[in-house]
Amino acid sequence: MSYKRRPLAAVSNDTSDPHRTLRALRERNVRLELETADLCFLAALHLKARDGQLSAFDEPALVEVFEQVVAAIEPPGSGQKRRPTAAIRRLREQRLLSRVDGAGVLRAGEYSLTRLASAIVEFFLEDESLTRESLTLLTRSLLGSLEPVLAAARGASTADDWSRTVSAPLRITIAELLSGIERRQRGFDLEQESLQRAISELITADWFGAIDRCQTMLEATSQTLRELNQVLLRDTHEIQSRLQEIHDLAADAHQEEAALVVRGTSDQIDRVVAWGSARQRAWSEYYQYVHRYLREVVRIDPTRMLVHRLREHLAGRAGRPYALAVAAAPSMQLLRPVELLGERPPVKRRRKPEEPEVVDVDAVDPERELERSVRSAVAEGADRLSTVTRHITAGLEPDQRFGSAGRVVQAVARVCRAEAGRERPWVAVDDGLLIEDWVSVRARESE
Amino acid sequence: MTKPAFESLADVIADEAFPDLDLALRRGRHVDRDDGPWYALLSDGQAHLEVFYRRYGCELVYKSDGYYYLLPTANRLGRRHLSPAEMLVGQGLTLLYLDPSTVQTGGVVTREQLLAQLANVLGPEALVRSLNPKRRRYDERVAEETVRQKVAEAIRRLAALGFVEALEDGQLRLRPALLRFAEPVRHATAPDAALTRLIAAGELVLTDPDAAEGDPDDDASSLDPSDNDEAAADDDGAAEEGAAGAAEDDAPPTERDEDEAAREWDALGRAITTEEPP
Repeated sequence: MSYKRRPLAAVSNDTSDPHRTLRALRERNVRLELETADLCFLAALHLKARDGQLSAFDEPALVEVFEQVVAAIEPPGSGQKRRPTAAIRRLREQRLLSRVDGAGVLRAGEYSLTRLASAIVEFFLEDESLTRESLTLLTRSLLGSLEPVLAAARGASTADDWSRTVSAPLRITIAELLSGIERRQRGFDLEQESLQRAISELITADWFGAIDRCQTMLEATSQTLRELNQVLLRDTHEIQSRLQEIHDLAADAHQEEAALVVRGTSDQIDRVVAWGSARQRAWSEYYQYVHRYLREVVRIDPTRMLVHRLREHLAGRAGRPYALAVAAAPSMQLLRPVELLGERPPVKRRRKPEEPEVVDVDAVDPERELERSVRSAVAEGADRLSTVTRHITAGLEPDQRFGSAGRVVQAVARVCRAEAGRERPWVAVDDGLLIEDWVSVRARESE
Repeated sequence: MTKPAFESLADVIADEAFPDLDLALRRGRHVDRDDGPWYALLSDGQAHLEVFYRRYGCELVYKSDGYYYLLPTANRLGRRHLSPAEMLVGQGLTLLYLDPSTVQTGGVVTREQLLAQLANVLGPEALVRSLNPKRRRYDERVAEETVRQKVAEAIRRLAALGFVEALEDGQLRLRPALLRFAEPVRHATAPDAALTRLIAAGELVLTDPDAAEGDPDDDASSLDPSDNDEAAADDDGAAEEGAAGAAEDDAPPTERDEDEAAREWDALGRAITTEEPP
């Protein structure tokens, strides 16, 4: 069986219109369904490939790895039987494992993890969070990579020079480095989320004893964010000024494509900087909130009795009900300015509308119209009742055809010479109408 | 650069933020650090403003939890007591504020969490009865809808008073002023003495369980006339606020409110105490 698969890049080529991209994804019915065992299998393949410097696995190696994974994750005697064939098929169907040998049916295939599978495994296995060191390294590399691009832009004379020495490095090297920063930023976001959860769990578990540890965690994260922002502000300013220089050179040389690539890179850097300030702001709010909580709730109520007493009171099991007093000054009232109404017009009887002008319209006699249609149908070659009826009722709505068919019969009998056999055959005029046909319909000789 | 403290009351009043702050305080708004310029103005001009508001028969109260509010101690400025629904919701929100699990979200909770908290503490049946106190028989679905409506209404009023901030998608940011709801139960050793002290200071009133029951058809007895004015003011915008002529200032605004609140409180007390706690 042969089949044609749509190219993988179909979605990613034009992502400028999000609606089109989403529609394309929907049309392709894109989805991922991975169980823990599948993820473990992918992780095992990834680790084995990395440790053994393997670029592909043959089928026995895949099966062996799968069995090792099942032995490691399934408790003995769990009774659940997992089959390597099904797992490999599932991963191939979801484009996580691809066959790379191209030998078809000649021999067993060789497989390697796809880019998607590697990204998934790396997300779970590798700790790619942004630190001061990694950010400094990345921004310095960026600056270092921009130097030769700037030099090339100064010396480029042809469109080919611009494309080869400016646009291509910006699109690949610089964009990759920036993607590295953005990836680590997302890793940092995940870390923040788990830190907030950890602080909450720490306070829940240890209450008063958690204060110092919470404060240490808060301070450490604040310090990291501060440092990251410092690095971002310092280095991105330098990067932006070099990009601006390249952009000016491209504009002077009328190299639209290169200028567009520079602008895209510049936008990417803006996003990186915006991330820094947004996280700093959000963290600042969270930091203040937790400090306030520690100061005003935890320190003041070291035994957590306040919550208990308030719950008891709210449930009506302790104390008497009370109501807080609050200020409630009525709002000041502003009287509306007096509006002097004008003199009302006197009440009058409504004037009758004048009679419409009479227009002469020629009366249409439907019977004569029908007879004219019958005659023209016969003149055009319709020689049976069914063909005449079909000719006349073709333009009508389906529910009007039945009634019209009767009128057609009457008109045909009136204006034509018709002959019918003893047994009149039932003939379909259209999908929903059958009539008893007359074998011959001719125009009257007198007409 | 820090702003220097004000030298005189005239300087405080001349501040750009004063008119809005003054109106907000008089309408019962609690002001905390999240209010930015208002909080700074109150902190810097506290000494002058305390004297200023005392002449209106009010105390400008500052709590160490980090918020200010105006507490009328005489009849010169209108005052009201929170309705049972507002107290119930306020105490539920305070429990959430004290709950360490809300630290993860930076003090932001959802309405569903609040309803779950109330249902957990009171029990679902008692919660429904407490917010439908005048109905002896009720349809479960309708009563639950009423609970949701009353809770939403109470949240709206508490937000106007600065106890919470309503965010998008039904989320609520809890504010430090909520700790006012826990004030009477803060002191373990002498809760009665604390309650007496707070009553004497005019911070709260005890509700009378023996008071006569209100008109069963009057479903809006927690509303008082000044609330209607407040709602109207919200709609009318700032144009009216600057205008002179406060006709109602002469009338004592509290008498009717307290009678009606007492009737509601009586019904609420019976609803909760008849329900066996879970």
